[in-house]
Amino acid sequence: MTTLTTRTKSLRAASGPEGARVRNRKRAARREGAFGWLMISLSAASILVFTALPIVFTFVLSFFSWDIISPPQFVGLQNFTHLAADQSVIHSFGVTGLLAALIVVLQIVVGLAMALLVQQRKSTWARSIFRTAFFLPLLVSAASISIVFSYLFDDHFGVINYYLQLLHLPAVAWLSSSAGATATIVIVAVWQQLGFVFILFVAALGSLPKDVLEAVSLDGSGPIRTFFSIKLPLISPTIFFAAVIGLINAMQIFDQPYVMTKGGPGDATTTTVMLIYRTAFQNIQFGYGSAISVVLFVLLLVLTGLQFLISRKWVFYS
Amino acid sequence: MTSFLSSPVSRRSVLIGGAALLGTAGLSACSPSGASSSGSKTLNVAYFGTQQAADATAKVAQPFIKANPGVTVKFNGINGTDWNDFFTKVLTQIAAGNPPDIVSVATEGVQLFAQKKLAHPLDDYVKRDKDQLAPYFKDVHPSLVEAMMYQGNLYELPTDFNAGNMYFNTNLLQKSGLQLPSPSWTMDDFHSVATSLKSNSGAVPFDWVVRLWGSWTSFMYANGGNLVTEGKYTGGDWLWSQFYANDPAAAGRGGGWKWGAPTANSDAVVESLDYMVELANSGLSAKPDVGGGSTLQGLFASNKIGMSIGGGFWAGGLHNAGMQNGSFDVQFFPKWKVQRHLFGTGGYGIFESSKNKDLAWEFLKSLVEPAAIDVLTSGNSTTPARRSMMTADRYSTTGPKNWQVFYDTLDKLPNTAPIPAPPYYNAMANALNQRTTQAMSSGNAKSALDGLQQDLETAAASVGS
Amino acid sequence: MSTAIKPQPAPPSAIQKARIPHAGRRKVYRGFGLVLLIVIAAVFVLPILWTISTSLRTPAQSFDNPPQWIPLNPVWSNYSAVFQQVPLATFFLNSVFVTGAIVILQLITSTMSGYAFALVRFRGKGAVFAMVLATMMVPAQTTIIPIFILIRYLGLSDNLWSLVIPAVGGAFGTFLMRQYFLQMPSELAEAARVDGASNFQIFARIYAPIALPPMATLAVLNFSAYWNEFFRPLIFLQSTNNFTLPVGLVSLQGNFGTGSVSIVLAGVVIALIPSIAIFLLAQRYFVEGITAGSFR
Repeated sequence: MTTLTTRTKSLRAASGPEGARVRNRKRAARREGAFGWLMISLSAASILVFTALPIVFTFVLSFFSWDIISPPQFVGLQNFTHLAADQSVIHSFGVTGLLAALIVVLQIVVGLAMALLVQQRKSTWARSIFRTAFFLPLLVSAASISIVFSYLFDDHFGVINYYLQLLHLPAVAWLSSSAGATATIVIVAVWQQLGFVFILFVAALGSLPKDVLEAVSLDGSGPIRTFFSIKLPLISPTIFFAAVIGLINAMQIFDQPYVMTKGGPGDATTTTVMLIYRTAFQNIQFGYGSAISVVLFVLLLVLTGLQFLISRKWVFYS
Repeated sequence: MTSFLSSPVSRRSVLIGGAALLGTAGLSACSPSGASSSGSKTLNVAYFGTQQAADATAKVAQPFIKANPGVTVKFNGINGTDWNDFFTKVLTQIAAGNPPDIVSVATEGVQLFAQKKLAHPLDDYVKRDKDQLAPYFKDVHPSLVEAMMYQGNLYELPTDFNAGNMYFNTNLLQKSGLQLPSPSWTMDDFHSVATSLKSNSGAVPFDWVVRLWGSWTSFMYANGGNLVTEGKYTGGDWLWSQFYANDPAAAGRGGGWKWGAPTANSDAVVESLDYMVELANSGLSAKPDVGGGSTLQGLFASNKIGMSIGGGFWAGGLHNAGMQNGSFDVQFFPKWKVQRHLFGTGGYGIFESSKNKDLAWEFLKSLVEPAAIDVLTSGNSTTPARRSMMTADRYSTTGPKNWQVFYDTLDKLPNTAPIPAPPYYNAMANALNQRTTQAMSSGNAKSALDGLQQDLETAAASVGS
Repeated sequence: MSTAIKPQPAPPSAIQKARIPHAGRRKVYRGFGLVLLIVIAAVFVLPILWTISTSLRTPAQSFDNPPQWIPLNPVWSNYSAVFQQVPLATFFLNSVFVTGAIVILQLITSTMSGYAFALVRFRGKGAVFAMVLATMMVPAQTTIIPIFILIRYLGLSDNLWSLVIPAVGGAFGTFLMRQYFLQMPSELAEAARVDGASNFQIFARIYAPIALPPMATLAVLNFSAYWNEFFRPLIFLQSTNNFTLPVGLVSLQGNFGTGSVSIVLAGVVIALIPSIAIFLLAQRYFVEGITAGSFR
């Protein structure tokens, strides 16, 4: 990851005899190293104790069978061999992957489009209205907004199907068909989290170098060409960031299916985290639940690593 | 609670209950583990409900606290969408080393807690205090008591219950020129009521919720089917001969329900779920909410639904949702092959890990006093387990007019049985929900139930019972 | 963006003439853009408007279609019912304390560590950063039990600090700040270092001030995340007096969802008001921050 930060050697400008320069440089580097550790100490210690250690615990537990009440029993790799043949686990990864892909792509495309359109507005007033509109959903808790949406998307009594039928469109089986339930969860997740991506893009677009943009507009390039040839490369680090965070979040989607569909109909929206919750907390199989968590964790690790690898090809750091 | 203060029955029973408690407190003062010997003890009660409801319910402990100086009873409301949700949270607390002394558990969790040795059997306490408990058992239908047993032991004293009866929106019935069906109505009658409601009222004739209690499972019971093989554990004679010697309704009772091999894809079960698919396809019922149906009562109360399955708790729920007394009524569930209802019953159990079991038992006894049950069932949020408390007065504010149906379901229909709740209830409830929504969205009940059968077999095997 | 800092564009007249062939097309683009913007913004706001308007209707009207978007006879009693049913002021103060403490502490730790990971060279940086990143990939549902056990061991059960202390070091915040610092020019540091500024001075005087926009972003995101947090408080807190708003409000829903829809939604709206207020306040800092950060 350090390779992403390319920097010129900082002390080249310093002058003096060669020996003193080396000594100085060494001392400065040592001081900088100590400073770096000091700066990260609070975060790192807290993350170590309250996140990393519990994860280690989860790893350890994945080799046990534990029902909370009686002491854990070591079962070796049994949980993992069982898991490899468990259709419901495999299916849940498919569901999660589909939901995550749809959510991340839609979120970035719509979020970026909205940020660009808001950017075009001249009046501060209009900008702040739109900004508030897109950010508003992020301020409501996922659990309570999912309750609201389960009213709105109700097949028979919901407001959405009512208006669809008013427009002579067929009512959609939002919550009672596999495709409908998947769509509903994607819509609600994108609706809720778009504000985050949107704000990131607004900030990124706002910090684009003005001189370059003005030069381009003088050049007579249309807005679409300006976007693809200038803006897109310049904000690629932000897109990358949104994709990494978005994927990590979307792969852990839980609240929306938990409240709106309970993973149904059938197992059409049973995501991996829902399955973990169900296995560990409802069926009280903590060892097996931990094993599924470990697989999800490793999968996310690999996916994020891949993202970082691929990012070298398209992300442009100034 | 207004009913608590206004009803003369309640006030008298407060005095009786208080006196009884004073008596027991006096007795136990001599024993070392007794209540008043301790300077300060706290009984932690895990209560299924909102903290607000828990606080209101905590009133129930006042006579007990007064009788046991230095004792505090803390009601912790744990809210959830269903029992599964509640158990999850209680189990999390246990996992973190924070188990409550007492937990409110309905039929759903009795065997789960008992099988895991989380709950402490009450047999010895009940035998010891038999004289004191005789009036209570006399007042409670034996089927409720039996539903609290597992392998011959009693784990709870029922405080309340709910059977799956049929509720009607009487406004919509009138609009369709219909009247409340007779108690002996059949599935054909149900079908014609639904058809008439559909064409005359414009409302959705019938709606239901995906869950174990009062779901399509009510149809399954009426069709003579069940998810698992029904059986009874032996034992329990100590209780039946002591308290129900002369009660014909207690004949043939055993040591609790023994839920055997899964039968989720048997003909009767498949037929009943197929019927639900047809109801939905013909527009006679809504496709049930996959999310758990928190809106059902609201929809019913706002005249959007003609019929739905509900128990005594619906009276309070509909009243709270703004429905006027008189605009809804209740009747038995219709007869299909049989006229058989399912029910669930609630009560409190003692945790095996509690350090204050004797004290907890004293508290449990105080909870089945009429005054206490009055608090627990206030606002008709559920139905009292004591027959003597089922009065016209109780239902005068909320309705329904036909409130007698609630207890008659136990008294007049002897084949009424609890919902199937084996020790693997949690896994069963999840699988049932999942397979039901699968059947409703695919229209193929048989293949969904084949799946359910497999799920249940796996779950049953993992428990080893 | 405030016009005060923005470099003034050249007088338009001459340039505009040169652009005339494009002007028509550009207008169409902008007009189409505005329509799209309004439609999508409406999609985002309508569910919240429905929530507000339903919270002002009687339970019996709450499912009416078409919904009465503007309640003609608003039923305010749904709101007073919320206050009657739960100790809302206590929940509110608890939420303010927990959210405030987490937001402030995480701002400090994340800015420091994000800066270090981006612009300071030290041994083991890659490994530690990988750990930080990895911790974001574990669903909270799977680590809640070990954390709960840890909390009890620290004697923090049923204590508001049990929510604050584990959240002090934010992996996400660190990542967010690092990404921003990565985009900042390193020349500033070199110039300052030549002038003899210490490592900490370079951070505190030069980089931290221009990192205001991501800090504001982090603060608002953390605010909305922790203000609405449900899973941890539900398990860590036991007494009503310690409940935060989301946990307290959920009790309005009742067992089996038997509570009145209108009252539940009134509760949702009440919890939303401070969020909106904070956002509207913080939005100013966003705008100023972004503007300030936009010159290079």
